[in-house]
Amino acid sequence: MNMRNLNKVIGLIIFACLVASCKKEQHIGYGVENINVYEDKSRKTKKKNDAEYISILYTNLYQTAISPNQLYKTQNVLYSIGDQDVASEMLLSNYFNTGSIQLPSNALMRQDIEAFVINTYKRFYLRYPSEGEKAFFKQYILKNSAVSVEMVYTAFATSDEYQYY
Amino acid sequence: MNRKNFITKSSVALGGGILAPYILPSGSLFAKSGSQKADHVVLVMFAGGVRQQESILGRYLEDSQGISGAAGNIMPNLFEGNAPTKKIAYGTSVSGMPAGSEPIPKLLTQSMEKSGLLFPEVKAQSAGHYVGLNTLLTGNAGTAQGLKVRPSYPTIFEYLRKHAGFKATDTWFIANGIGNSTPLLNSSNHKDYGLNYGANMFAAPVTFSSSGKEILGNSKTYSRTDLEPMYFMKNFLDQSFALTQDQITSISNTDEERTRIKDFIKSVFEKQQAGQLALPPVSNSGDAKNIMYAAEVLREFKPKMLAVNISGVDSCHSNFTGYLQSLHRADHITGWLWQYIQNNIPEMSGNTILIVAPECGRNETPNPILDQNDWVSYDHSDANALRVWSLMLGKGVPNMRVGSSAQPVGRLTDIVPTIADIFGILDPITNAGLIDPLAKSLYSRI
Repeated sequence: MNMRNLNKVIGLIIFACLVASCKKEQHIGYGVENINVYEDKSRKTKKKNDAEYISILYTNLYQTAISPNQLYKTQNVLYSIGDQDVASEMLLSNYFNTGSIQLPSNALMRQDIEAFVINTYKRFYLRYPSEGEKAFFKQYILKNSAVSVEMVYTAFATSDEYQYY
Repeated sequence: MNRKNFITKSSVALGGGILAPYILPSGSLFAKSGSQKADHVVLVMFAGGVRQQESILGRYLEDSQGISGAAGNIMPNLFEGNAPTKKIAYGTSVSGMPAGSEPIPKLLTQSMEKSGLLFPEVKAQSAGHYVGLNTLLTGNAGTAQGLKVRPSYPTIFEYLRKHAGFKATDTWFIANGIGNSTPLLNSSNHKDYGLNYGANMFAAPVTFSSSGKEILGNSKTYSRTDLEPMYFMKNFLDQSFALTQDQITSISNTDEERTRIKDFIKSVFEKQQAGQLALPPVSNSGDAKNIMYAAEVLREFKPKMLAVNISGVDSCHSNFTGYLQSLHRADHITGWLWQYIQNNIPEMSGNTILIVAPECGRNETPNPILDQNDWVSYDHSDANALRVWSLMLGKGVPNMRVGSSAQPVGRLTDIVPTIADIFGILDPITNAGLIDPLAKSLYSRI
């Protein structure tokens, strides 16, 4: 076999190898559907520590992370007060007194109370409200014109369930 | 209904109406076992480790530094005795004079020793700070008490709330900081008592610090009308989540009490800003600031029981001069607090008993650390660190001195049964079986 033929044979072998190595991609499905995962009240048994509570709350309200320095100061101040409800209510109230907090308007809340209640449960508790919970809040907000978004958010952020995950 | 039935039923109804308001949180009827001796008790935890030699014994530099002729009393508001005349370094500094050469003028016209009940030689149960503080508040020797955990045995606050039916704002603990587990002292983790019966607490130098002001000071003042729906919704959410007893991690006040505490915190920041907080004449120490905030709490809440912790004297580990200055200032601020109660809180004046006691003593022999005056320092670990004193004065307290250096009387665990005795609930506390079996009310030690 002359040199020219030998090159042809080698080229043919390489081509055959390349063709043989290509394989059609297999799509394997397991029948899993995409769903959103939410918390279950009964499974929240671990208490957030101070740092977790503060940073989660801050991120929830400002939609941005708290700085380490601010977190440290806040932790110390909260720890210095015996009644943690008092401490977190004042912290929240302080947050609400700043302009940069991200919350829906009162008009938006009253426009669709049910949607607001569901979103608030998802925002704070990472779960859907039960029918009873939904009914309570819908009725309470509807009947009390003075109830504002700030009041509802304060109640959620200082509640026991928000302290757990 | 016949006449007999009517009388029976109406008698039951009347009896229930009379008794119901007196059913305590413990579920039992009002458990007072003796007569109440006063309406208010203030406990100054004179902590940090105080040597007998420089306090009650009035030895100043004579015993500690071996300087002859340098004895004298540097705690004129608490104890009797002439001030030292040699090497004065414990006072304030005046320009052109050696540092600390100007003693702080005595505030009280009569020393506490002269008007109260003094136990000059008392046995402490621990030479450590945290266990010592535990002893003062639990009445238990607390030998197995760990750091960074709440007291294992119930505090006096819990006893009072459970057995005397005090509400949360009737009991206060004012801590001098957030270090050394101090903020955990407002309640134990005992299964039969715990946070449900704990006291309100401020680690005041932190709560009312610049950080505190930044984080809490700008909070809105909600009206009662605003608060009502907030609390209503919160209470609904909490009932729905239903925490179990062992999951509770904070003491709880009623909605009304919470509102009052928040208003109080805001008012302190406002007074701070306006320079309107009442201060001891010499207030250049952390202890003085803490006593000042304790006075504010007393003025606002008129609590039945308040304990305040100070600890500046612990500088004695490495600075004996600083220790002497702190001891002199601790005397000054304790005298000031007593005077403040008498002069500024009419509801408590003449109706309060003040108890003062260190949590532990300090060593007989020094460590080798020298301070700016070349004076040696003292730690707290030997038998001398178990020697302390206690002092009590106020409504109906007899003027006596019980015991002496040669004849010790009393234990630090006596403080809790004494407070229980003052409020007439000594029996239920003793019967609970959780205090030192050797502890007694100081009234019984006389």
